[in-house]
Amino acid sequence: MIPKIEDILDECLERRFGGESIDDCLAAYPEQASQLEPLVEAGWACRRNCAAIRPDAEFKARAEYELQAAFYANREEVARTVIIPIWRRGWAMAMAALLVVFVGGLGTAAASANAVPDEFLYPVKLAAEQVRVTLTWSDVDQARLHVEFAERRAYEMVEVAREGKADKVSMLADQVTRHLGEMCLRDRTEEAAEEGSKALAPMPAASGADAYSEGKGTEGLEAFLSQSRAESVQALADALAKAPEALKPIIARAMENVAEDYDRTIFIIQNTSGQ
Amino acid sequence: MSIEKDVVSRAIKGDGEAFAQLYRDYFDKIYRYVYLRCGNRAEAEDLTQEVFVKALEAIGSYRWRNLPFASWLFRIAHNHVIDQLRKQGKVERVELEDNIVVADEPNPALVAEERFEVEELRDKIKKLSPAQREVISLRFGAGFSTAEVSEALGKNTGTVKALQYNGIVALRKLMLGDSAQ
Repeated sequence: MIPKIEDILDECLERRFGGESIDDCLAAYPEQASQLEPLVEAGWACRRNCAAIRPDAEFKARAEYELQAAFYANREEVARTVIIPIWRRGWAMAMAALLVVFVGGLGTAAASANAVPDEFLYPVKLAAEQVRVTLTWSDVDQARLHVEFAERRAYEMVEVAREGKADKVSMLADQVTRHLGEMCLRDRTEEAAEEGSKALAPMPAASGADAYSEGKGTEGLEAFLSQSRAESVQALADALAKAPEALKPIIARAMENVAEDYDRTIFIIQNTSGQ
Repeated sequence: MSIEKDVVSRAIKGDGEAFAQLYRDYFDKIYRYVYLRCGNRAEAEDLTQEVFVKALEAIGSYRWRNLPFASWLFRIAHNHVIDQLRKQGKVERVELEDNIVVADEPNPALVAEERFEVEELRDKIKKLSPAQREVISLRFGAGFSTAEVSEALGKNTGTVKALQYNGIVALRKLMLGDSAQ
């Protein structure tokens, strides 16, 4: 069987990086040599230029010293900047409540933008999202919002995973699925028009939180997240194929971000489960 | 037990010198990778230092788990860079020093030329697709083998090789485009 061109290129690059001349690298593949030569040259140039990227020596030495000092001083508190979230300060909570009552809408929504589950302003964030959906009439714009909110849930998933809140991870994965379900419904504008309000009804809640709470533990959560990731990416891929042009770049970006956030969450769970 | 595995084991147990050894082995590689992803020298230094702080905080929970230390470290770097790039979607960081030539270098002209080539390359890599950029940054910036890139990204080697191939083809086209102008 003839090896694929990408396999041959990889082999030639490895040999070139190992010190062989380009002629030696290509000798084994005379038929592909003319196609490969410029690519091996480009890869070699790329490698050579990358080698010139160097950190400032003084910075590197200082950073090592600081890291060593932190290591010996207190490993548990290494360079962890203690930032008290504004919404956890008493006065700020009072201000936030006043904002809810007197300002409402955009001001509070903006204040809650970075909130994650269990934080004071998180319900405000969800409420603001619901308001945006309610006030959006176009199906395409509603689909756009649900894609955005699915991305937000995926991003929050990473944050709560870092805090070790496994139950919240699965809950948020369910929310990603729910938003993507909503997005798919709204993306099928013709069907939605035919079926009226029935088509806009939310998808049934997924079972991730239940699956986790039933005692499957970390491995169960990883398996659930892997499945949820595959389904979410598939849902976005399906939507991308059918979406109107205006939505396509948004869905394409969401596919990348959501998959990325799932991978990060799974990685965090795998690497903190032993603690 | 390999030498690195021994060093990592000692670092996990709290041996400061072992962690310093890992720092020295990987700092430049992480820096190159981060620089190619974020494109700013000062920021790449900060982020690289933060990656090692995160690694220091997490190393107690590191298990080999079929994931080599280098891949684990680069996943931390990758996650951290992604976090920062997303945050920068809201706040742009000002480029301060990329055009400054370090005065006490032995040959400032050579340094300037080198820096120009690096910035050219960085700008071209920025034009690749995110997946190609990731593979090229790890393969050429960090100096990973295809297998190591595959482990670090959780993709199979076939996919990595295809991304590498397409990335190099795209880079070459960008290079030719420049020379044609």
